[in-house]
Amino acid sequence: MSGPAAGIPHRLRVAVLASDAVMQSRLAALVTECGHQLVEAAASPDAVLTDGSADAILPAAAVAVGAVAEEFDGWLPLDASSAQVDAALRAVAAGLNVRATPPRARNFDAMPEEPPVVLTPREIEVLAALGNGLTNKETARLLGISPHTVKFHIESLFRKLGASSRAAAVARGMRQQIVEL
Amino acid sequence: MPEATENPLVNLSDALAERLRVARPLVAGIAAPGHRTRSGTLWRKDVVVASEQRFPDVGDAKVTLSDGSALAARVAGRDSGTNIVALHLDGNVDPAPLPAGEPRPAGLALALGFDDGGVSVRLGVVHSVGPAWHSRAGGRIDRRITLDIRLTPKEEGGPVLGPAGGLLGISTLGPRGRVLVIPASTVEAVLEPLLAKGRVERGWLGLALQPVLVPEALEGAVGHSRGLMIINVSKDGPAARASLHAGDILVTIAGDSITSPAALAQHLGPEAVGKRVELGLIRADEPLSIGVTIGVQPSR
Repeated sequence: MSGPAAGIPHRLRVAVLASDAVMQSRLAALVTECGHQLVEAAASPDAVLTDGSADAILPAAAVAVGAVAEEFDGWLPLDASSAQVDAALRAVAAGLNVRATPPRARNFDAMPEEPPVVLTPREIEVLAALGNGLTNKETARLLGISPHTVKFHIESLFRKLGASSRAAAVARGMRQQIVEL
Repeated sequence: MPEATENPLVNLSDALAERLRVARPLVAGIAAPGHRTRSGTLWRKDVVVASEQRFPDVGDAKVTLSDGSALAARVAGRDSGTNIVALHLDGNVDPAPLPAGEPRPAGLALALGFDDGGVSVRLGVVHSVGPAWHSRAGGRIDRRITLDIRLTPKEEGGPVLGPAGGLLGISTLGPRGRVLVIPASTVEAVLEPLLAKGRVERGWLGLALQPVLVPEALEGAVGHSRGLMIINVSKDGPAARASLHAGDILVTIAGDSITSPAALAQHLGPEAVGKRVELGLIRADEPLSIGVTIGVQPSR
């Protein structure tokens, strides 16, 4: 077995272990799509891609798709992209563990206290317009203010949000917390 | 009978083992279809409480106790506001009644859980104790208690003990995996409504809100620089009936300043339902006061 010390080849030899033929061919297609070589489980693979249900002894570090269980080095959701599968296979072949970020992993949390950055109502409107891809002129027309004033608000937004581009300002500004009460 | 010793570490270990022995019967393993086994705390002879966020969409479950006995159970009520789910046991067991413990920063804390088919133990200290706080879902928690212990999601929801063996509350995973304690008094306060109605009814305005700066020209009239801008008004909600609009900025409720969502949430507890309050707001750069009757927060 080629351990992590042997270095990770660009093209991995990957075995697929699945409980049924449909899943087997789906996972095999993912392996091929990632540019890796499909091999038998007995042929000393670099990594294994499995649906987590096969009862076989794993011949190498394994990525489980659609399964969550401690015995696998990697877990991915059923709808994982080929890029994620590729990254996970490389990681487990290198001796690392891989976990996909769960969709709702936000734990119990406190109601926001006064946030460090608070925008004015006008700044929020300008930010929303930026988010919709409007130019300064279009934003000015929409809000009934001068393009000069729009520019003033954008500068203030950049300063408050520590942003140097419109995209960054929108990304950070939209993280402002909205609560429902 | 443990051998008398001068070794303080052995004495400490013996003391901890004794706390565990007394509290063990409170630890419950909860297995629901489609979920891994999670931890809970036997709270009354037929009620187990656990961390609500670990049991989405759960109805029926099997509860295993520390002596290996198993009972059928069903969810009797859940409250995301305090992150408590109550399960009613199909049968009675006698929990060891533990006295309530008083959390103290730097005091030892034992967090018990159900793991690997039995009771697991974690030891640490109380990291901080703060005043009452409100969760994002609007629930009031009597004290903010954090531990310096790490817990797995499987262990979350088990009992937390103080150094004298008193029950501090149940463990809950908070932001960035920090372990919080939901105090025993908070569990007690929500248990009655959970068992009677299946939920905790809290005050509700029917608004989505975002913190904003009050326009400078109005700061003098308002008396503070921050408020909450209405982003959305729920159709047919209390705020909609009182003709509040998106764009209005809330600055006071019943004469108290609203400078943060937490400040508003304080006025929307279970006791607020049905009350009529005056909301101070800014609309089109003019201060305005509107009366609203606080409604009941709809179920999720």
